[in-house]
Amino acid sequence: MVDKIEFDICGQICPSTLLIALKEINTHSQRIRDGAVKLSFKTDNRDAVVTIPESASNMGYTVHVAKEDGCYLIEISG
Amino acid sequence: MRRTDRKQMEDQRKDTNDSERLLKENLELGKRYDNSIKYIRTKVNQLLTVMGTSPLRPEELDDATLLEIDPIGIISESFVQILRHLHQTNEKLKITNEEIQAIFDSAGTGILVIDKDLRILAYNRSIKEQFFPDKPEMLGEPCFTSICNFEDPHVSCPFIKVFETGRRFHQMHWVLAERHYDVMATPVRDDQGEISRVVLVYMDITDRIRADEALRKSEERYRDLFENANDLIQSVGPDGSILYVNQAWHEALGYSRDEVPDLSIFDIIHPDCDGCSDEFKSVVYGEKAGRLETTFITKGGDKINVEGNINSIIEQGRFCGTRGIFRDITERKKAEMLIASEREQLAVTLRSIGDGVITTDTNARVVLMNRVAEHLTGWRQSEAEGIPITEIFRIINEKTRGCCENPVEGTLKRGKVAEISAPAILIAKDGSEMLISNSVAPIMDKNSVVIGTVLVFRDITGTRKMEEKILKAEKIESLGVLAGGIAHDFNNLLNAILGNVDLALLSSRQGDEIHESLIRAEKATLRARDLTRQLLTFSKGGAPIKKASSITEIIKDSADFASRGSNVKCEFLFPGDLWKVEIDEGQISQVINNLVLNAVQAMPGGGTIRIGAENTALGESEIPQLNQGNYVKITIRDTGAGIPKEDLSRIFEPYFTTKHTGSGLGLATAYSILRSHNGIIDVESSTGAGATFYLYLPALLGAPETAVKAAPPSTNSNGNAKILLMDDDGLIRVTASDMLKRLGYQVELAADGEEAIRLYREAKDTDEPFDAVIMDLTVPGGMGGAEAVKKLIEIDPEVKAIVSSGYSSDAIMANYKQYGFAGVLAKPYKRKDLGEALQNIIAKQGS
Repeated sequence: MVDKIEFDICGQICPSTLLIALKEINTHSQRIRDGAVKLSFKTDNRDAVVTIPESASNMGYTVHVAKEDGCYLIEISG
Repeated sequence: MRRTDRKQMEDQRKDTNDSERLLKENLELGKRYDNSIKYIRTKVNQLLTVMGTSPLRPEELDDATLLEIDPIGIISESFVQILRHLHQTNEKLKITNEEIQAIFDSAGTGILVIDKDLRILAYNRSIKEQFFPDKPEMLGEPCFTSICNFEDPHVSCPFIKVFETGRRFHQMHWVLAERHYDVMATPVRDDQGEISRVVLVYMDITDRIRADEALRKSEERYRDLFENANDLIQSVGPDGSILYVNQAWHEALGYSRDEVPDLSIFDIIHPDCDGCSDEFKSVVYGEKAGRLETTFITKGGDKINVEGNINSIIEQGRFCGTRGIFRDITERKKAEMLIASEREQLAVTLRSIGDGVITTDTNARVVLMNRVAEHLTGWRQSEAEGIPITEIFRIINEKTRGCCENPVEGTLKRGKVAEISAPAILIAKDGSEMLISNSVAPIMDKNSVVIGTVLVFRDITGTRKMEEKILKAEKIESLGVLAGGIAHDFNNLLNAILGNVDLALLSSRQGDEIHESLIRAEKATLRARDLTRQLLTFSKGGAPIKKASSITEIIKDSADFASRGSNVKCEFLFPGDLWKVEIDEGQISQVINNLVLNAVQAMPGGGTIRIGAENTALGESEIPQLNQGNYVKITIRDTGAGIPKEDLSRIFEPYFTTKHTGSGLGLATAYSILRSHNGIIDVESSTGAGATFYLYLPALLGAPETAVKAAPPSTNSNGNAKILLMDDDGLIRVTASDMLKRLGYQVELAADGEEAIRLYREAKDTDEPFDAVIMDLTVPGGMGGAEAVKKLIEIDPEVKAIVSSGYSSDAIMANYKQYGFAGVLAKPYKRKDLGEALQNIIAKQGS
């Protein structure tokens, strides 16, 4: 069973959104790579839909972006 | 100043200095802090930019928060992960590159990379092996020299166009150095979008092309076979529709190619072929396959006999139809029927041949034998087949009983066309022996090569015996002819003796010694006459000279004569009213003589022969061989050894005898004599129970024997009747003349026919013609009675002529009336016989 940690960073804009996401990714990096957990960021910042997935992809994570209720859900997994 | 003050002052100064210093340091530190913050912000922004996001806005984070958040730390740690990921990615890329290179090198297809100048940038192992296997390195070399073997690029080189057009190019069939390639040219663009290189993939399709070519040729061969086959080839769908057929099929069945799609197999199966459709259906339903013989019907209605094979077409487990190959065997069928007919005819012929027939192969082993051969050798065909002929056909020399060469082996050895071997003894399987004759002929094929022999043989045991008996019979016949001649002359002599004795008796007185002597002489002469007649009957076997006779006396005389000198006694039992029979006394006497003689020989220890006679009236078919009517049945019964059952049906066959000394003619003669008297002879016997012979002779109706006894003729009751006697024997003329005169006749004599005719003619013209003529039948060197009587009839149709002869069995004597005679007189005769004969015809004349 994969734990899902959700972060609501609506109202935040870049680069804060990216820094928050990176910090959380770093914090849970090992568990994410082990497949024990995945992170879900809810944002209304459109730029974050580019920066967070690109950075996470460069770091070797799998990124899935979906739009939900006017916000974006960026899901990071191992 | 006190030390304290000074000290205080110093302390104050020091404090002031410290404060100033600290302030200064504080300012310095603040400046440094600001610079550090500024530096941090700058670096954070740089890092954020690297991360692809916007820099921090001044109001976004205060310094304390900035330090607290530690963006650099966050980003640095992210970088560590990015670098680690990059490293991993690079590692994977490296492996992938190595894999690609391995694939590149190991690919079966040739891969060549060229630049705009058509120089080789890369190539794989397959390219090297295909185009320049002996060259060490070709990188940088022009492809047109390395691959196409041109000095300059070809003007129409399609790969140049790839650089020009930027479009992929596919050359499906390119021939290079006698090999065939499928070439795909793919342009590769650099990061500027320019086509910097082209990747050429060479797929060697030589094998495929050659395989295609081989397949095409193979298909051509198969099509050639299919279309030019003499056999009929067809494929039929599950519903019976004809899918495809070959040319021979079209030609044989007469349907064009356009008509075939509308045909069903059931259209070409002949309706008269019982079960053919069902047989085909059974193949369709997978119940049967393999060889098939059937009958097709052509478009024109002709019948074709075919044989062939038919089997199912199964594709992916599903029945898709049948394929069949048939051969037109109509002609062969006809030939087979002809051969079968000939074989049947041959078999029937072989069965019908009365000779034994054995055929062998060239190793002298039995191939075939007919039933007669089976019967003679005792071997059945099934047993003998394949066995050497020497075991089946075992023969030994007839005389030496030694081994003799098997004729089959001899023929095979010498290769003679035909060979007829000397008679030999064949030893049958059960050891029995028979004399055989045989012949062997080689069987040759159309090239005159010997392929076997045919041995034909027959049992000649019977034939040999027959030949011996014929030889014996011929001797007997010769003897008979001799005896006949002697008997004739003897009869003439006897006639003279008997006549003179008869005349002498007239001159003697009864009771005188001389009278008794003459009586004995007369009896002896009469017995000699009977013997002579038997001799004549035996020798000539001719037609009976029948006359009404006393059968009892003939039986008694003959039986006594035959049994004389033996220890067998004859007992007679005759009724007093026995009917008269019309018989040739001599022949019937011979029959009785033979039967009694056989009976005597059957009873070597002696015994009694019981002979009887009785009147019997036979109804229609009571005895098949005899007509309805009255008969005298004579029975001769002995108490001898009897006749075996198997011999009973054969005892009347000529030359059948169980006695070593017998001629085999006795009973056959008896049979013949009885048949010529319109009677039969039959026998009843069984082994050990004696034998009984029955003789049936037609009776003269209502004429009991005792009633026909003729009264003795009056010796002088003939007045002056005038008799002409013709005989070449002077002694007879004299004797007969005296006898006639004694009987009261006038007599004139003639020595031959001519004289008799002359005298008769002369007398006819006078007042004293002859009342009767007695003529000898045969006159050596002159006209005999038979010819003379014809002349006399011409002169006088009412002539009364008596034929007289010592050949009492001659046909003329038996049928004298047919020859114009009025009576018959067998020599020797007594005065009484002479008188009766004349009295009969003169009396008829008178009446």
